[in-house]
Amino acid sequence: MSAAWTPVALSRDLPRLGVMPVCVDGMDVALWRSASGRVAAWADRCPHRGMRLSHGFVRGEALSCIYHGWSYGAEGHCLRIPAHPDLAPPDAIRVPVFHATEADGVVWVAPQAPDAMPPTIEGSALRSLTVEAAVDWDAVAFSVSGPVARGTLSGVAVTILVQPLPNGRYALHALTEATASPSVLTEVSRGLEALRRQAEGVFA
Amino acid sequence: MILYDYVLSPDCYKVRLLASLVGARLDLRAVDFHPGGEHRSAPFLRINPAGTIPILQDGDLLLTESAAILTYVAASHGPDWLGDDTPVMRGRVAQWLAFGHRLSASIGKARTHDMLQKPADIDACRKAGVAALRELEAALVEARLRGEAFLAGNRPTLADIACFPHAMLAPDGGISTDPYPTIRLWTRSLRALPRFIEMPGIHRLHELKPEPTGSSQ
Amino acid sequence: MTDPIRDEWYPVAMVSQLHREDRDTLLLGEAIHVTLRDGQPMVTASSRVLPSQARYGHVWTSLGAPARPLFDIPEADQPGRRLVDVGLVRVKCSPLRAVENFLDIAHFPFVHTDILGAEPHTEVGRYDVAIRDEVDEVWATKVQFYQPQAAKSAAGGITTEYMYRVPAPTVSVLYKTCPPRPDEWDVITLFVQPLTETLCEVWPWMALFDDTTSLTDLIHFQQTIFLQDRSILENQQPSLLPLDPGLEIPTRADLTSVAYRRWLKRRGYSYGAQLVAA
Repeated sequence: MSAAWTPVALSRDLPRLGVMPVCVDGMDVALWRSASGRVAAWADRCPHRGMRLSHGFVRGEALSCIYHGWSYGAEGHCLRIPAHPDLAPPDAIRVPVFHATEADGVVWVAPQAPDAMPPTIEGSALRSLTVEAAVDWDAVAFSVSGPVARGTLSGVAVTILVQPLPNGRYALHALTEATASPSVLTEVSRGLEALRRQAEGVFA
Repeated sequence: MILYDYVLSPDCYKVRLLASLVGARLDLRAVDFHPGGEHRSAPFLRINPAGTIPILQDGDLLLTESAAILTYVAASHGPDWLGDDTPVMRGRVAQWLAFGHRLSASIGKARTHDMLQKPADIDACRKAGVAALRELEAALVEARLRGEAFLAGNRPTLADIACFPHAMLAPDGGISTDPYPTIRLWTRSLRALPRFIEMPGIHRLHELKPEPTGSSQ
Repeated sequence: MTDPIRDEWYPVAMVSQLHREDRDTLLLGEAIHVTLRDGQPMVTASSRVLPSQARYGHVWTSLGAPARPLFDIPEADQPGRRLVDVGLVRVKCSPLRAVENFLDIAHFPFVHTDILGAEPHTEVGRYDVAIRDEVDEVWATKVQFYQPQAAKSAAGGITTEYMYRVPAPTVSVLYKTCPPRPDEWDVITLFVQPLTETLCEVWPWMALFDDTTSLTDLIHFQQTIFLQDRSILENQQPSLLPLDPGLEIPTRADLTSVAYRRWLKRRGYSYGAQLVAA
C-alpha cells in the first residue's frame, strides 16, 4: 500500500452526485462526489455481494450500490439496507475508504495518508485521456517530475499528470495555461490525441 | 406509427427513446430476433428485404434505416430534435446520424457476439469500437470547449440519440467505457432528461428520486 | 467413484435450434458437439458419446455418469401451459453467481425498476428456506414482494408470491403467482450451462398460463429481465461465488443464497466457486 498521491481525475469530470471508476496502485476505486460537493474514494466493491460501487448512485451525502441499494455514509459505514428498512445496519459493515483530496482542479487519491499534500499544479483543466502504452516524454520535449510532465503543445504550455493503470496503460490528465482561447484549446486536445497515437505506435 | 421492435436492440431503442422524449405514440410489434430469427423469415423479408430492424411503418411510408426513422419521428412529432436551426447544426446532426452506423457496426456487433453468440470478428469489432468511442469523447471535449453540452449544439438533438445507446452499452460487448469521462457526463445529462426511458443494460438514475423517507412502508 | 461436478446433468442446447444447425460449445471447459440424430439429441466430446436427453425444450448432457435422473418439473406436462424457449444469453460470470442472482428478490427495485419492484416497496419479509433432504434440493417458500408489473399479463401492481427451487447446482426453478389462474403457479426457470468457471450461457425457459400475450412478447419480457441482471453479474468481485462466509455479508433477505451456498459446499460442488475466503 502506497502513501503517495495518485492523480485520478479532473474535478470538472466529477459533478455533484457523480460516481466514476478509477484505479490507484492497481486497486479499483469508486470515486464520487456528494450533494454538498465532498469527494470520496472507496474500494469499488459493495461488501454485501461484491458489486462494483462505481455503478451505484449518490443521494445526498451517501453512495448506494445499484444491486440492492445498500447505502454508505461518509466514513464508508452502511447507513441503510432497503430490504430491511427498520434495521440499523451493524457498524461492522464498512467499505474501505481511501484518502482523497482536491486541489487546482485535480482529484488525488492515496491508499494511506501521505505526509505531504499533492504538488501544486497551475493551469486550467482541459481533459483526461487513457493511453495503452507509455509515453516517451523526451521525444515530445516534456520534462518530468514525479507524476507531473510539463511541455508545450500547439504553442500552449501544458501540464500533464500521469496516472499509471494496470497492464501498461496510463491515464493522462491535462491542464493548460488559463488564457488560451477555445480554438487553441481544441488544437491542444487534438495534440493530445496525436501524442497518444505516437505512444501507441499508430501513425495514421 | 408501427415500430417493428426488439427489446435488446439499441437501434430500436433509439426510436422508442425519441418517441418517448417527444411524446409520440408507437404501436410496437415485437419481432422474435433472438432466438427465433424472425427478421430473416419469409414474411418479414417481404416487409424489409434487408432483414434488419427497426422498421417504421406509418400509412404508406415504410422506413428501414434508423437514421431515417429518427428523422421522420422528429420531423412529425418533435421538430426541435432535428437540430436544423443553422447549416452548422444540420451538418453536425447528419454527421452523428451517420456515425451511429459505425457504432452499430462495431460496438453493436461486439455486443450481439458476446451476449447472443451472433457471428463477428470480435477483435476487429472491439478495436473499431474503441476507436469510435475515442472519437466521440474527443468531439464532446471540443463541444465543451465551444460551450456546448451536446453533439450538435447546446440542446440534445437526433445526433445525441443516434450515439447514446451504443456508448452506454459498449461493456456488453467487452468494450470498457471507463476511460471516457466526457462521454460519462454527456450520457448522464441525457439520462436525466424528462420522459427518458431505459433499455436493459442502461439502469435508472436512482439519484433523480429522493430516498424513501421513514423506516417502514 | 462419483464426481459431484461431472456427474451432473447440464443444459447445452435448445432442441428447436438443433433443427437448424449443430452446436459446438464448451461444458466445464471441455469442447462438446451437439447434434440431432434421427430426431434424438446426440452429444459428443472428442469421439466419446455422452449421455443425453431432450427435456424442457433443451438438450441435457453429462461428462460423467449421472447417478440420478434429470430433476422433474411436473408442470412441464400440464395441459394448457405455454412452454417458452427464451434463448441463450452468454454472461461473463460464474454459473453459480447467475443462479444465485435468480434466487434473489431484494434487487428488484434497483435493477428491475418499475417492472419487478419499485421504491419505496423494498422490504423483504420473512420467508421459509429449507434444504429438503429427501429430494436433496434447496427450497424457499412464502416469499412475497410488491411488483409494479408482475408479468407481461399483469396490469398494475400486485403483491406477488414466489417459491424458489434449486434442483441441481446450475438450475433454478421459480414458481410465481399466476394472475389469470390464482390456483396455479407460473413456472420460470434458469438453466445455466457452465462453459468455464467464469463464463456461462443461460437458457431461461418458462411454462406459463397465459392465453393473451404473444409468444414474442413473453420472450421479450423475460429477456428484458435477464439482460438487466447481466450488467450486475459481469461486475461482481470476486467473479467466483464465495462458499465460505467472510467475504460477503448476507442478511435475512439472503437466506436462500445462504442455503444455496451451504448446499453447494455440502455436495462438494466447487466449479465456479471460491472455497476459502481470500
